[in-house]
Amino acid sequence: MNIAVCVKQVVDTEAVLKLDPSSWRLDRSVNCILNPYDEYAVEEALRIKEAHGGEVTAVCMGPETATDAVRKALAMGADKAVLVSDAALAGSDVHGTAYVLAEALKTMQWDLVVFGVRSTDGETGCVPAAVAERLGVPLLSALGKVVVEGAKLTVDRETETGYVRYECPTPAVLSVIKGINEPRFPSMKGIMTAKTKPIDTKDAAALSLDTSRLGSSGAKTRVLSGRSPEPRKAGEKIEDDGTGAAKIVEYLTGKKLV
Amino acid sequence: MSDKKGILVVGEPKNGRLANVTLESITKARALAGVLGGPVSVVLMGADTKPLVAAAGKYGAERVYTADSPELATFRPGPFVDAAMAAIKAADPALVLCSGSPDGRDVAAGCAARLGVGVLVDVTGIEVAGGKITVTHPCFGGSTIVEKEAVASPVIATVRSNVLGREEAAQDPEVVPLSVDFTPAGLLAKIVDVVSESAAAISLEEAAIVVAGGRGVGSAENFKLIQELADALGAAVGASRAVVDAGWQHHQAQVGQTGKTVSPQLYVACGISGAIQHRAGMQSSKCIVAINRDPDAPIFSFADYGVVGDLNTIVPTLTEEIRKRKAAS
Repeated sequence: MNIAVCVKQVVDTEAVLKLDPSSWRLDRSVNCILNPYDEYAVEEALRIKEAHGGEVTAVCMGPETATDAVRKALAMGADKAVLVSDAALAGSDVHGTAYVLAEALKTMQWDLVVFGVRSTDGETGCVPAAVAERLGVPLLSALGKVVVEGAKLTVDRETETGYVRYECPTPAVLSVIKGINEPRFPSMKGIMTAKTKPIDTKDAAALSLDTSRLGSSGAKTRVLSGRSPEPRKAGEKIEDDGTGAAKIVEYLTGKKLV
Repeated sequence: MSDKKGILVVGEPKNGRLANVTLESITKARALAGVLGGPVSVVLMGADTKPLVAAAGKYGAERVYTADSPELATFRPGPFVDAAMAAIKAADPALVLCSGSPDGRDVAAGCAARLGVGVLVDVTGIEVAGGKITVTHPCFGGSTIVEKEAVASPVIATVRSNVLGREEAAQDPEVVPLSVDFTPAGLLAKIVDVVSESAAAISLEEAAIVVAGGRGVGSAENFKLIQELADALGAAVGASRAVVDAGWQHHQAQVGQTGKTVSPQLYVACGISGAIQHRAGMQSSKCIVAINRDPDAPIFSFADYGVVGDLNTIVPTLTEEIRKRKAAS
């Protein structure tokens, strides 16, 4: 079973995220990491590979510095990687990103494409569905469990009250949620061998991409303006002297919240 | 400009009713129709959507497209995109509003990909001026608010739950049944089981009140204090990442950057420090009450009402007080 795992480099979740007011694009000059949700996708792909054989390829679209995120996927155990990187891609929205990833995936051999459920910076959660549409294969999204038997998948999609279980043949596009597994930490050996694993870097020309669909100019959505929200102010703070609970009730009653 | 007209709300079925976010979207659509032009249409998708037509009409749907098929009994991305596309084709709307839930995002993203248009996600406001639609979207955990537009028509957006407000405006909607051509690829996914483990749970995104616990709760067992307060208030239970990572609560309860974003009327944070990650998921709550032992916890810098003290004594007393009040009323 050959698996492509789509990964993204995101701004560190501990960092304060800011937009560059000249372009309304995310300031990525801060510390960047592998999208935390993608760690679950990489782990799930590795588990399937370990049980059924095959190869895991990390697929990433991003600037050249995204190799750090790609190396993390390789250090966890992915066999190789494809990095689609081109100045023309900067500022791509869901439309452009899904187009690029789908075109990259069309040049590869895979039975499954696995995504994290969303990125922690763009947070659209829309790319897996858009890629599945472009590839013309079924989408199984927000999965909390994946079982592979031959070319048959049995997967559980989490709902608010439980789950829905689906069966589906490969090929398919999957997105997995936090909690599906416990992502492994890269071992020292993994980190060392990751440095020698191949990263195939492709530009827009190498994939014969239609540049009119790429980057800010090809985006189908546009940021018009950005602002900081009115900062929330600290309200009243009291020390509990045994009447704390009663005072909360009093406060909530005053606000007609109870 | 295109000649597309009106607004289509993609209805989200939820345990035999319409999700609040659908009713909120219909309410918003009605207000926008005054400037953008109507009609306000809703598409209902399911095995039997008839019982939901009245709810859509009650909030002001002028036309209801019904896609009834056994293939739509339970959510699957492919067939639901097929059905939504049939409605988009029939209504030819200028604006399509989907739910911000995982289901809604799959439908919105799938339709946008088929139409070659953009998708505006997680919107908390929609404006129309001079025929142009702009949306408000809090990004990066609400640390920045952006105004966005789509550069292709129709505009497809997913709407955040619990923000736009809902108001009844009874209509007797025209019902238009749709016949849906299902794409073979989407039907390859077969539903083999639908399991409900906690049917009584209040939806975190829809809840008017959320009671959330953090590391300060101390243990999985002690989380019953949070649950009891939530029950007394009729609230949903939330949790910080630390609590979920420790296995004290299911990850479905996680509020924050790698969890859910909620906007309830009241958010009661118990033993939660209020780190940036958590704040991202709850700072749009109307009112925040915090209970924490540490007087310097960041949560107190943005809570509306803070009590410095031990949640182990404050929370049970609070639960008792609330129960008494409810019993008396």
